[in-house]
This record gives sequence, C-alpha cells and structure tokens, in this order.
Amino acid sequence: MVPLHLTPVDYVILVLYFAFVIGIGWRLRKSVTSSTEFLTAGHNVPVWITSLAFLAANLGAQEVVGMAASGAKYGIMTSHFYWIGAVPAMLFVGVFMMPFYYGSKARSVPEYLKMRFDEKTRGLNAITFAIMTLFSSGISMYALGKMFQLVLGWSFDASVLLSAVIVLAYTYLGGLTSAIYNEVLQFFLIVVGFSPLAIISVSRAGGWTGIQQRLPDVMTHAWRYIGSADQNPMGVEAFGLVGGLGFVLSFGYWCTDFLVIQRAMAANSMSAARRTPLMAAFPKMIMPFIVILPGIAALALTKMGSGYALPPKGDSYDYDQALTTLMAQFYPSGLLGVGLTALMASFMSGMAGNVTAFNTVFTYDIYQGYLKPNESDSHYLNVGRVTTVVGIALSIATAYLAAQFNDIMDFLQLVFGFVNAPLFATFLLGMFWKRATGHGAFWGLLSGTGAAALTFCLSVAEGKGGALGVLHSFPSQMAQNFWIAIIAWTTCAVVTIAISLVTTACPDSQLRGLVYGMTEVPHEAGVPWYMRPAPLALVVLACLCFLNLIFL
Amino acid sequence: MLDLRLPSGAFFAITGLILVVLGVVSNPHAPMSLSASGPDVNVDLYTGLVMLAFGAFLLLLARRGRSA
Repeated sequence: MVPLHLTPVDYVILVLYFAFVIGIGWRLRKSVTSSTEFLTAGHNVPVWITSLAFLAANLGAQEVVGMAASGAKYGIMTSHFYWIGAVPAMLFVGVFMMPFYYGSKARSVPEYLKMRFDEKTRGLNAITFAIMTLFSSGISMYALGKMFQLVLGWSFDASVLLSAVIVLAYTYLGGLTSAIYNEVLQFFLIVVGFSPLAIISVSRAGGWTGIQQRLPDVMTHAWRYIGSADQNPMGVEAFGLVGGLGFVLSFGYWCTDFLVIQRAMAANSMSAARRTPLMAAFPKMIMPFIVILPGIAALALTKMGSGYALPPKGDSYDYDQALTTLMAQFYPSGLLGVGLTALMASFMSGMAGNVTAFNTVFTYDIYQGYLKPNESDSHYLNVGRVTTVVGIALSIATAYLAAQFNDIMDFLQLVFGFVNAPLFATFLLGMFWKRATGHGAFWGLLSGTGAAALTFCLSVAEGKGGALGVLHSFPSQMAQNFWIAIIAWTTCAVVTIAISLVTTACPDSQLRGLVYGMTEVPHEAGVPWYMRPAPLALVVLACLCFLNLIFL
Repeated sequence: MLDLRLPSGAFFAITGLILVVLGVVSNPHAPMSLSASGPDVNVDLYTGLVMLAFGAFLLLLARRGRSA
C-alpha cells in the first residue's frame, strides 16, 4: 500500500519533462568547444538565468521536503533559515564579495584561495570540497530512491539509475550551461508544482487566522519566543540563532560554497555577477510561503481532524512525510504528475549542481593543479567530461553506501559540518584584510575544524556528542550545531590573525584585484538604480524587515 | 546560444494544456472558491490555466527578443 497512485497522464508529464531536459542538453552540445565553456559556461549566461540557477542549485529535494517537515515541527520559526540565514548572506556576497571572486578571474573558489593565499590552502579546500560534493550528490540520490520507494513503490535501483542517467546525459552534453539552464526550468517547476499545495492546504486549514487559532502561539510567531531556549520547539536562543545560523552557517554557505558561487561566476559581466545573488534574494524571500506553510498547515489540519492527518511515528508524527501526504490528499491526477515531476526536478538539480561543481574543482584545482599542469585545453575538456561520468558513478556508489551504512553517512555529515564551519572567517579576512597570509589561513582553517570537533566531543545534545566528557549540555541538536559553528568561526579568525601577524605579508603587487582596498571599485555612474547592487540590496533588506515584523 | 525562454515556454504551455483538458473533462462542475469545508475545487483547471499563461508569456518574450 503506497500513498500516491499515478495515472497515465502523470507519467506523460514526467516523461515530457525528461524529454525537455535532455533536449536542452542536446541543443547546447554544439556550444561546448573548450574546457572553460564546459566547466565555467564561458562567462556567457544572462543574469536572469544565473540568478534563478543560483537559487535552484541549492533548492534540492531535501530542502523542499525538509522545510515542510520543519514547518510542521517548529512552525513559522523555520523561516529564520531564509529571513535571517540565506537572504542576508546572499546580499553580502553580491554587494561585498563578488567583486573579488569575479574580478580575480579565478575559475573556482579554491583557485581564488590559491591566488589570494597559497597552494596548501587551495589544496585543503579543493580536496575537502570535492569529497563533500560527491557525498552530497550520493546522499541526494539515496534520498530520492528511498522516497520514491516509499510513496510510489518504485524500485530503489530503478529510481537511482534513472535519475543518474538523465543528469549524466544533460551535464555531459552541455556542461555547466546545460546544468544552469535546466536549473531554471526546475525552479519554475518547483514554484508551479508546490504553490497550489500551499494555497489548498492553508485554505483548508481556514487561512492563516484559522491556523493561528488551532495551533499554539509559539508555532505562528517567529521571534516572540526566542528569548530563551526552553520556550521554543527549536531549543535555541536569539544569540545562537543570529550568530550561529545567521552569521556563521548561512554566510559560510552562500558566500564560500563553490556550488552556488559558480553560478554567479558564470554571469556575462561583473555587474551581472554581483546582481545574481541580489536578484535571487527576491524569490528566495518568498520561498517560505511555498515550502514552509504547507508543513504548518499540515499540523493544523491534523489537529482539526479534517480527514487529513500527519502519519504517526512513535508518540509524535513522521514530519518528513508532510509534503508527500499532503500531495496524496489534495492533488488530483494531472497536478499530481506536476508535483511529482517538481520533486524529481529538485532531486536532479541538487545532483547536477554537485556534479558540475565537482568536475570543475577536480579538473582545474586537482588535475591541472597537481597531476598534469601543462596540457592542451582539449585535454582538460576531455578530463572534464570523463570526470562528469566518474563523478556520477561515484555518487551512485555513495548512494548505495548510504543505503548500507546509515551511521557512516551521519558521521560524515558531521565531519563535513566541522570542515565548513570556519570557512567564512578565512574568506572574510582574506578579502578585507590584506595582511592575512597563506600560513595564517591554512592553520586557521585547520584549527577551526579542530575546535568544532572538540566542541562536539565536549558537549551533549539529545544524547549526541560528549565523547570526551560533558562540559555543557545543549537543549537541542540545532543549538549545539549553531554554537559549534560560532566557536569554530571565532577560533579560525583568532588563529588566522595571530599567525598572519608573525608571518611575512604578501607583497601588494600580488594582491591586486583580490583584496579590498587593492581592487578597483566597479564604475557605476549613469547606471539606473535598479541595476546597481547597493540600492537593490536595500530594497531586499526593507522587504525582509517587513516580513519579520508580520510574523513577529 | 539557445534562448531558454523557448523550451521552458513550450514545456509549460504543453503541460498547462494537458491539465486544462484534464480539468474540463474530469471535473466540469467543480466550484470556484476554496474553503475549509467546501467541496474540491477544480485545481487541475486553474493550475493548468496559470501554466498555460506563463508558458505563452515566455514564448511571447522569446519572439519579441528575436525580432528586436
């Protein structure tokens, strides 16, 4: 007995989508004649496309399904992931950091680190990033296989192989351009496929006022219960939230992760690269209404006894099934096909994003950087293509590893968190303090990761951590994560500054275009305000304040 | 270079059309409004119309972009 039943018309829509996706890759295959076109889209993509791809590359299915689940579990506080986390970070990267990324002419984020710092800092970042993208791609394949098995009764092997073959087809044919173009189609599909669910489920629950009446106050207010950790279901307090989630984790992801930065770097000019995250911030602000509201409505509908109920799990609910059970309840055949295609699309965009980031970092930073530096461009193009195939094969292997050893995956994701937590400190110092040195950056990163691991081993939350003893006990794992990030960031910043001050500074001539004060500010006179980064960012910021006030 | 508005416009127009036809054929008397207790609204029809309009809009933009 599976919750979703497809009719032939649903399959028609799914197959139609696959045909378009592969068709786009097929049409783009002729434009790929060099490694830069294949791996960096040749800096040739219009800004409306890069900004939607910037958004969609991160909008994997785990995000869509996970946000609905968090909505049901934590209520409107989940919106902090967007309104305190992602959006301010996107503004920061567009206004302040993109001039250095794009202006450096680096082909990847690790390559920027090589230009700014040194070889070992780049090596550390490139190798950890390559491993992490492979695992994320594999984990999203695993999640797809599990979900389609659960809700449709499809075979795990068939779902994994089908999605892998389609992603391989369009990324192999058209490279990054093809991945980016398809991410835009996927973004539209996600919006069209899930908005009706938000509208139907919220109106069925009696609108927002109906939801407010049926749920405890804490579920419908984002800020009122944030003063202390024991008042809200997330178990976090304001400083941990704003500092850990907002400042360290979100800025760390949106400002340094090559997966998203790569989309902005594909833009056709410096101005377009800076506007990419800013224009992406507008739809990003609206996403909570599409992905979080259905989860909150699902809980309200459950409390109403309306004929819909979240599936039980233990003495609580299986929140991860909120989205799919709502679809089963409210979507007729036809729309169900669209919703399912949107889900498939978001899995594939997550996978393709990781694969295209992996092949660029591997080809340019690992293969060209360390293995074979002086080959012809057509050689690197071939390596890029082969890496795409190998990357997808390794992702499939990872998906099966995840299916076999769930604990290993949990452990690896924990370790990846430790590696990522200090990154933002390194980039911030690298871009805005010209005295920061390669030795400082390298040891800062390592000690930040070490501090994260140590914090985890010395604290405990919901039974996790505390391997070396318990100095502090957190009310929730989320609070523990936020504080690990804060400590890792601070350690990395302090160590980087201390070691930089006792090592030799880089000569100014090597820092041109890479550091604040050594880079020409882009000329903006005569450009209309809506094309300039700072006014755009202020408009987004005003909308953001407004949204936070509504759900105070 | 391929104009992305063409394939995405075509995809949404075709899918929208499928939903509109399905909505009209399978559920011709569904009500217009959504409420907490009322009967099911014809979501296929309305979503289909929105997708069709969006697809047509993209195709129109692509056409104007080409002639310009």
